[in-house]
Amino acid sequence: MKRGVFMGLATGLALLLLCGNAAKAATSYKIGGIFPLTGALSWLGEYKKKGAELKVELINKAGGINGHPLELITYDDQSSPETASRVAQRLVSRDGVISMIGTASVPVSGAVASIAAKNKIPAIIGSGYEVNAQKEPFLFNTAHKTDFAVARPFQYFQGKGITKLALLMPIGPLGELGSTLARKYAPHYGITIVGEEKFDIKAADLTTQLAKLRTLGPQAVFSFCTGEPAALVARNMNQMSMNIPILVSHGNANPGFLKFVSSLTLPIIVPAGRAAAPDAVADSDPCKKVVTDFSRAHQQKYGEPANYYSAEMVDAISLIAAALKTTGSDDPVKLRDALEKTKGFVGMQGIYNFSPTDHHGTVLSDMMVLTVKDGKWAVLLK
Amino acid sequence: MGDVSPLLQFLFSGLTTGSIYALIAVSLVIVYKVSLLICFAQGEFFVIGALTMATLVSKGLPMPVAFGLSVVVAMVLGALVERVLIRPIQSSGTGNLIVMTIAISLALRGSALLIWGKESHVLAPFSAGIPLQVFGATLQPQVLWIVGITFVALLAIWLFFEKTTLGIAMRACAENRLGASLMGISTQKAALFSWAWGAGIGALAGMAVSPLLFMQYTSGVMPMVKGFIAMSIGGLASVVGAVVAGYLLGLVEAYTIGLVSSEFSDPIVFTILIVVLLFRPNGLFGARWSRDV
Repeated sequence: MKRGVFMGLATGLALLLLCGNAAKAATSYKIGGIFPLTGALSWLGEYKKKGAELKVELINKAGGINGHPLELITYDDQSSPETASRVAQRLVSRDGVISMIGTASVPVSGAVASIAAKNKIPAIIGSGYEVNAQKEPFLFNTAHKTDFAVARPFQYFQGKGITKLALLMPIGPLGELGSTLARKYAPHYGITIVGEEKFDIKAADLTTQLAKLRTLGPQAVFSFCTGEPAALVARNMNQMSMNIPILVSHGNANPGFLKFVSSLTLPIIVPAGRAAAPDAVADSDPCKKVVTDFSRAHQQKYGEPANYYSAEMVDAISLIAAALKTTGSDDPVKLRDALEKTKGFVGMQGIYNFSPTDHHGTVLSDMMVLTVKDGKWAVLLK
Repeated sequence: MGDVSPLLQFLFSGLTTGSIYALIAVSLVIVYKVSLLICFAQGEFFVIGALTMATLVSKGLPMPVAFGLSVVVAMVLGALVERVLIRPIQSSGTGNLIVMTIAISLALRGSALLIWGKESHVLAPFSAGIPLQVFGATLQPQVLWIVGITFVALLAIWLFFEKTTLGIAMRACAENRLGASLMGISTQKAALFSWAWGAGIGALAGMAVSPLLFMQYTSGVMPMVKGFIAMSIGGLASVVGAVVAGYLLGLVEAYTIGLVSSEFSDPIVFTILIVVLLFRPNGLFGARWSRDV
């Protein structure tokens, strides 16, 4: 009887070991994806997840990296830094990922950044979080620097002779950032800030603030917010016949926002990456092929074109894949070193040149300035 | 300020948001009047009404039909919730019942997420046409609709509670459940009706204001909070109080934002609430109603 139990155990153990070996022979490179699938940022989390999943699928169809398939393990960060921190730790310690991608907001990125640093796992985020490459060697960001989203449209305003700008900023860190950046770049582009009002992003009507700003005679309004609040600013201005340009954040370059504002007649200015308007990218642009190819694949699979958020994550996956190819190993530290050495990498967001001091890699001219025309994006500055 | 148009714009803005608060507060009062219960799921009826109507309209139904159908859907849902989830625990105390309404709120919000997804839905204004320009200030025609709907609803509620036997019976239940049931009034039926009414008015509010907003599954949270504040200021059981307090809140917010700053809008609203609760614990219109049977 005892012997029987022992034999059983031994067989079980042997089987387990065998299985373990079998699994190891076909190991995949595991990448963790942290996306806001519920909560305040859920509307963009889905775009990021779909973009990353499709890119992984395309790479695997083409034979994977060094004979290994990529495996994307995704979690919902519920748009909260606490959850992001927990799932990032889980990805590292339980799932054994070699790199992480994702996140959408500055606080959530901060949470993932600290887990990446603590565990020495490279993470490529896509958010307004500004990476200090020297202090955060394991963190990279495929979103354009937030500064570009203000400086680039200001450049456009300068060309159009717009010198008087009013600010209508959401209460909170995003609005503070928008206000700071506007005041930082306005002098560079000959713009005067004539006044600033704030609003609660849950407010149902902003005509009070707009009526106050109107008395100051601005030539354009800048509201650094994304989604419904941005659309509400534009809608209220339209209702009040304030037919001056409204500049909103680069987060709005997506089909959802386009749907909200397509019936409005005032000029809506949105800074964006190439992914928002693949057709508008010049044929001579080296990124053109990457952008149009992926956009087509995205359209085929999901029935809608790719956008800024998918592009961020597509580039994150591509950059990791390229770095894995050069190192030929799945060691996270070596992967990070290879990522930092990336030069002239053609992505959807621009041409990446990482260095020990720059973990964003893209430049001001990688951002375009778009407007809405007949329910579609049109390019104002590329 | 030589130009009056900003001041007028603040007024219109206040009327716009005030209408939203007033209608949702009224829907809270209806349930409270009969069940003595604050229904925290009211914000969800608001959302469900708006999203149901948006879906029906997008399917090609004419607006008035979609409007009517959505009210009916919400009323049936409200009655169902009362019958299946509230009535079985009716005797277990107000605390449990309130927790139950919070649970219902979360469950309905989750269901709305499954049905309508995360994205916002846009409903066209009830009447096409350009915003009205009054002395340089802009008023959206939809606001006139909201004000109109609020007053029609108010009139209907008043007639129902004052002039119909069922309405009087429902008020009797609110006043004294045991007494009412001894008089042969079905307290259960009264509660069922109040939930159906409450849900219907909540949905009505959502439909009326959704052309001003971008409606999605979480859009009920802010109106619920503000509606609850309006209800408390108005005196919990007073329909008129809820409407007055709703508009008062909207106007105070608009003028605070306009003349002081957006950051002071919430603190001032809560200060008003605290002052009212301290000096008139029954709300501005509370005392009259509680003796009015």
